[in-house]
Amino acid sequence: MLFLKLISITSIFSACTILGYYYGNKYTSRYENLVCLEQCIKILETEIVYGATPLPDALTSVYKKGKPKVSYIFEEIKRDLIGNKRSFVYESFLELEAELYNGLYFKKEDVEILLSLGRVLGSSDRADQSKIFKLVLNQIGAQIEEAKMEKNQNEKLYRSLGVITGIGIIILLI
Amino acid sequence: MMKEVKIYDSLVGNLNEELKDVLIKIPLSLKGKVEEIRLKRERPLMIYFEGKDYFVSKTGNVTRDISQALIVEEKYIESTFQLISNYSPYAYLEEIKNGYITITGGHRIGIGGKVVYGINGIENIKNISSLNIRIAREKIGISDFLIPYLIKGRKDFYNTLIISPPQCGKTTLLRDIVRNLSNGMIHSNCEGFKVSLIDERSELAGMYNGVPQKDVGLRTDILDGCLKSDGIIMAIRSLSPDIIAVDEIGGKRDVEAIHEALRAGIKLIATIHGSSIHEVREKQSMREIFEEKIFGRYIVLDRSKGVGTIKELIDGSGNPIHFIKGAKNAIS
Repeated sequence: MLFLKLISITSIFSACTILGYYYGNKYTSRYENLVCLEQCIKILETEIVYGATPLPDALTSVYKKGKPKVSYIFEEIKRDLIGNKRSFVYESFLELEAELYNGLYFKKEDVEILLSLGRVLGSSDRADQSKIFKLVLNQIGAQIEEAKMEKNQNEKLYRSLGVITGIGIIILLI
Repeated sequence: MMKEVKIYDSLVGNLNEELKDVLIKIPLSLKGKVEEIRLKRERPLMIYFEGKDYFVSKTGNVTRDISQALIVEEKYIESTFQLISNYSPYAYLEEIKNGYITITGGHRIGIGGKVVYGINGIENIKNISSLNIRIAREKIGISDFLIPYLIKGRKDFYNTLIISPPQCGKTTLLRDIVRNLSNGMIHSNCEGFKVSLIDERSELAGMYNGVPQKDVGLRTDILDGCLKSDGIIMAIRSLSPDIIAVDEIGGKRDVEAIHEALRAGIKLIATIHGSSIHEVREKQSMREIFEEKIFGRYIVLDRSKGVGTIKELIDGSGNPIHFIKGAKNAIS
């Protein structure tokens, strides 16, 4: 009987702690992914504004040079663009929307910034593209700051909450 | 013929899906003949061949009846422009400023729309309203029979001027002459010259991402998108050519640059718009060149027996040169 109790207590405690860590890690992941995204967009800016590299090649370059945990989305965009002979680049960005939410834990505002880049990416001259990149990078910078604050506030909170909830349930059951 | 069809099909593959689906269905016999595909916003889809334009219906029928024609929607033009510019108009801005984009295969696409001027002249073309797709057809070997008339000895060449009205094959002929001069022809006793090709409108070599899409020979250096007058000077200074090849000369600065090349002992092959040697001689900018008897050979083209018929081959003194019996006199 004691053995069964011990197993139940351990299971409840572990489940609550994992859940707490899972929620807490979402904030960390969003922050880290936004930082990687900023780096990827800077690479893309260099390729387009300074190298005048055609967009599909520029996207591959970002995929290769950027942090893989985020840069893969640029290769996905390129694959969709060429594979499906899209009429507009934005269509390929839209295809990736779900992945941005679920795979990279981005919030609506983060996704909107990336989609706004997709609407105009490659469509104008280099001077225009440079202005667009500056604007997008500013917006992402602001999102990074916000994500950092949220991470600091919530990461520990959720983790502790998970542990405390686990302990609370165990006390109640005992 | 199958090669021509393949060229057409691969070109059409670069267009918007709706247009591709229609244009791919035109009769096989016409695919090899089409010279231009013309897209104009809210206007009928047109193709041009054998000196006439025709409409294309939704089912791919080629007709002169405008009521059956497929109307080119705004989105067809926009998405075709995205596709031909590889989603990167910024990368082709220099070409766009000149009014065209060259795509893989060397096909040139003329662009119509709102021209935007800036401090340094044309900056861009916006609100694109029409695309004129010229299918580049390479005719390898068409100049083989001509080469013996253009060279003297193993390593010398007559300065040559190709005179032709538009759409008579002067660029195609020039390209093949350049290929032969550059590669050399054993049976004509031609060793192969170092040729500098000044390809101002990217028509001759059809450069795409630094790779010539047309065969312009082993020993050919290409200055792509370069003004003829600048290109000739650059080639003299840095490429040490035996021959400089340029398309469509005529401007004052071109003539000055030609003189510069001749002073450096470099030979020249060029084309010019015109229907006869007399007409070209009357052009003010060309008068000096004719007086100095710079050119040793004049090739005059017309369409009397199809595109690229050689009407006359004339030597530097104005005397006609007769082809030996059996030599064909049409390049198409």
